[in-house]
Amino acid sequence: MTAQQASSDVQRVTAGYILRFDVHQRIQHILMFSSFIILAVTGLPLKFSDNAVSQWWIAVWGGIDNTRMIHRVAGLVMAADFLYHISYIFISMVLLKRPFPLKMMPNLNDFRDFIQDLKYTFGLSKEKAKFDRFSYREKFDYWAVGWGLAMMVGGGLILMFPVTAANHLPNWVVPAALVAHSDEAILAVGWIVIVHMFFAHLSPSIFPFNKSIFTGTVPLAKYKEEHPLEYDRILAKAGMESDRKEERPAAMEVVASEQP
Amino acid sequence: MEPKALFDGHPLHKLLPVIAGIALAIAAALDLKTSAQAYDLDSNNCLACHSSPSLSKQNGQGSVSLFVSANELTASAHRYLDCTSCHTDKPHQVQTPLTKQSLAQKCGTCHAYEYKLHLTSIHGQKLSNGNSDVATCTDCHSTDSNPHSVVRVLEPTASTYPKNIAQTCAKCHNNPQLMSKYGIVEKVYESYMRSFHGKAMKLASDKLAVELLNKATCTNCHGTHDIMEVNDPGAPVAGMANLAKTCEQCHPGAGVTFASGFLGHKEANPSFLPPVYWGERFFYIFTRAVLAVGGLMVSFEIGRWGVGHIAARIRRSREQDD
Repeated sequence: MTAQQASSDVQRVTAGYILRFDVHQRIQHILMFSSFIILAVTGLPLKFSDNAVSQWWIAVWGGIDNTRMIHRVAGLVMAADFLYHISYIFISMVLLKRPFPLKMMPNLNDFRDFIQDLKYTFGLSKEKAKFDRFSYREKFDYWAVGWGLAMMVGGGLILMFPVTAANHLPNWVVPAALVAHSDEAILAVGWIVIVHMFFAHLSPSIFPFNKSIFTGTVPLAKYKEEHPLEYDRILAKAGMESDRKEERPAAMEVVASEQP
Repeated sequence: MEPKALFDGHPLHKLLPVIAGIALAIAAALDLKTSAQAYDLDSNNCLACHSSPSLSKQNGQGSVSLFVSANELTASAHRYLDCTSCHTDKPHQVQTPLTKQSLAQKCGTCHAYEYKLHLTSIHGQKLSNGNSDVATCTDCHSTDSNPHSVVRVLEPTASTYPKNIAQTCAKCHNNPQLMSKYGIVEKVYESYMRSFHGKAMKLASDKLAVELLNKATCTNCHGTHDIMEVNDPGAPVAGMANLAKTCEQCHPGAGVTFASGFLGHKEANPSFLPPVYWGERFFYIFTRAVLAVGGLMVSFEIGRWGVGHIAARIRRSREQDD
């Protein structure tokens, strides 16, 4: 780890808060969830077309043709968001020379953390897993969105241009795209409603609402609880830097005094 | 010349409000006239007896109702035809004026072109051979196969209105016993309603204008009066070349690959579009497995929190007891 990174990590701490998501990541999340909600509410009636509620709901949106157009526009917004994220990583690495975002890559520790959490759940251990920047659940969410986007955007584009797809690809691609698009949609909506909403809103330690994806910041005390490994590392770096430069960030003082 | 100058000096200029008032009065009068209840034509007063729901006759098979609903007649396409136009001048002197076998010919006296097409269709051919399972005019043109309730084709309540066509065909084609008799094994109605076309039709508003109701239904692919058996070489769905041409009516540029990837009324299986079949199997298991893991993660978190909460409470109450 270079000195430049170390100092940039310390710069994330201001006035009792730590910066967790930069402005691009926050915009990407807003685009993602708003397009996701529109896609879900305009797409699900098609899956459950027999239901009277679906028929009423389609009429609310101004008919099936309007609903289809809105669904496609929202789908293109989601695809654009995906491209935004890819270019964001590319620019960050190639132009700004930031390191590869290794913290998001799954590794063996995630598996150990999962086992540790299982032990904690069943009373075999008194310790919860200690997470670094991203927990195994957050990594899973991130990569699941990656896989889901490939299915949904890929499948959606094939269904949007079925004739073009059939003229360039094998005959099974269009019906297979329909299967993938429709089933993956149920999986995505199910996962978001059951798992993501729980860990972002309903979980006892979070309730009612984890604001960090919108504000970008997390209170230091909370960060110490949720991401202790990264917290300790930043704190150690801050201490190290202050020794050298004699300018320990004022924001760290409060936290340092809280240390046992 | 300025447009204003045309009216300004004209003598009629001052009369314009009066003319508008008279026009409005005439329009209102016309509207009153048309909104009054319209009645069917019944010059021979047949309905005097036949509008009674209990009117019936006895024949070899038992009781046959002779009831004709005046309400249905009033709304029917043929309300301005006298009963005798179809039922002969002396309807009481013939045993059964119109039967399933003779009906199409009678309709054909006016609808000659449609009758000619019908005779060539699979329904018409079987009918000519004495088969009474198959559809004749009124089976498709009336919701209850009743000649007296035939309404115009594009009225939203008509059994032939695009939104209602699948239900109309389903009267016979969704009857497994009847279909197995003719070797039609596909569940054509269910598979249509499951398809993109069926879902779009189902979700389209009842109030949608017919030109916007441009979703494919049975007749768009299979034809209407001249409908053919699906294996007939001339049928629009027989063979990939014909099918592709049929798809192209709505999907410009659709070729044989496009048509051969259309499931139609079949389901994918290990020999028919196997990647689709295995994709379905994969997603069936994958979706359930992932959601089950997610559900477990959530319930573990709730369970562990709940247990910890209760344990802490017990500990506190014990400390108080001590």
